[in-house]
Amino acid sequence: MNGVLNEQTSIYLQIAQMIENDILRGIYLEEEQVPSTNELARVFRINPATAAKGVNLLVDEAILYKKRGIGMFVSTGAVVAIRQKRKAAFYQDFVKTLVSEATNLEIDKNELLEMIQKAQNEQ
Amino acid sequence: MEKTLKASGLVKTYGKKEVLHGIDIEFRPGCIYGLVGRNGAGKTTLLSCLTAQARITEGEVTYGGETVWENTKALSEICFAREMSQVLFSGPNTYKVKDYLYAAKVFYPHWDEQYAKRLVELFGLDVKKRISNLSKGMLSMVTIVLALASKAPVTILDEPVAGLDVVAREQFYKLLLEDYAETQRTFIVSTHILDEAATVFEEVVFLDDGKILEQGNTDELISQFHYISGKTEDVDKAVEGMQVLLQEVAGRSKAVAVRCDETSLQQVQQNHTVDVSGMNLQKVFIALTNSKEG
Repeated sequence: MNGVLNEQTSIYLQIAQMIENDILRGIYLEEEQVPSTNELARVFRINPATAAKGVNLLVDEAILYKKRGIGMFVSTGAVVAIRQKRKAAFYQDFVKTLVSEATNLEIDKNELLEMIQKAQNEQ
Repeated sequence: MEKTLKASGLVKTYGKKEVLHGIDIEFRPGCIYGLVGRNGAGKTTLLSCLTAQARITEGEVTYGGETVWENTKALSEICFAREMSQVLFSGPNTYKVKDYLYAAKVFYPHWDEQYAKRLVELFGLDVKKRISNLSKGMLSMVTIVLALASKAPVTILDEPVAGLDVVAREQFYKLLLEDYAETQRTFIVSTHILDEAATVFEEVVFLDDGKILEQGNTDELISQFHYISGKTEDVDKAVEGMQVLLQEVAGRSKAVAVRCDETSLQQVQQNHTVDVSGMNLQKVFIALTNSKEG
């Protein structure tokens, strides 16, 4: 769990996103425990209620589940679920922004596709 | 067992001057509240009235349904850690730090002596020093030790971070959250320094000129405020019919602060070529106080 909080998005959304990032990167594996809301609160200096709101968001989406009296765990299939969810947002948040900025810069379709290909080759 | 601290129709006058104009507020158990207001907004007066340290002119203050005035039992459960001063009415404040802490130990039934000692050590406070010889930062630290070690179900801190540097402020909020995780007691923290505080407060109360300007869940409040910027005509069209709190014009571009719900914000983003960005608590506070005056 690392990273800094910004002021552009609600804190609880950022907490949920950071946990998701760490699941995607394999920092928390499926069926492994994630930090408690009190730990999150301490690390990020945020109110535990806010941390709980972020965690509960992931519980609602079945990415995390609660073991009574023990804590929160990563569900089996969480990685796939997060990828699917993010793919949907990818078009809205990245592709549309990319195209709109390309239009601003008068980059035409072919030039844009070339750039994407180049970036893919560099990876 | 857990009780709500509540003020209804609270009016306070000093002589002919009315300082608080009919305040209704409820502090539910187990929540960290931020009381935010400019200098002279009436924060300390409100806190004094809530803790029966000042006589209220009209209205009432209750704790668990019972009035707090001359109610020793209720007051022993509410700790009000005031901002301390090097001088008293009669001259320099010659009490020693340990005398202060001893008085608190006698008064607060939940006092945690071990915790107090640990905090004194952590802050590097010399308990044999007289209050009149303490620096501003040290005065704040004594206030914090007293408040935290009181373990009172309702703990009120008046400007606890005003004298502290940025490192000590972070340290204080960390201690506060650690304690809260363990005790789940109610904290009311008054401050005008919002930098590190915004994420700690679950609920926030904006006090302005003796009135409550706004109160509610911090996250929900912040999420209602946005900056919208772009070409002046576009921005004007986008925010038509909205409550504009602040505006800044630079050449052909314009940036405005608005308060709106998520649906109207989405409409703005879909139908207009403008940039939308969020605000932090400090900006929200400034926007609200300024728009009221302007």
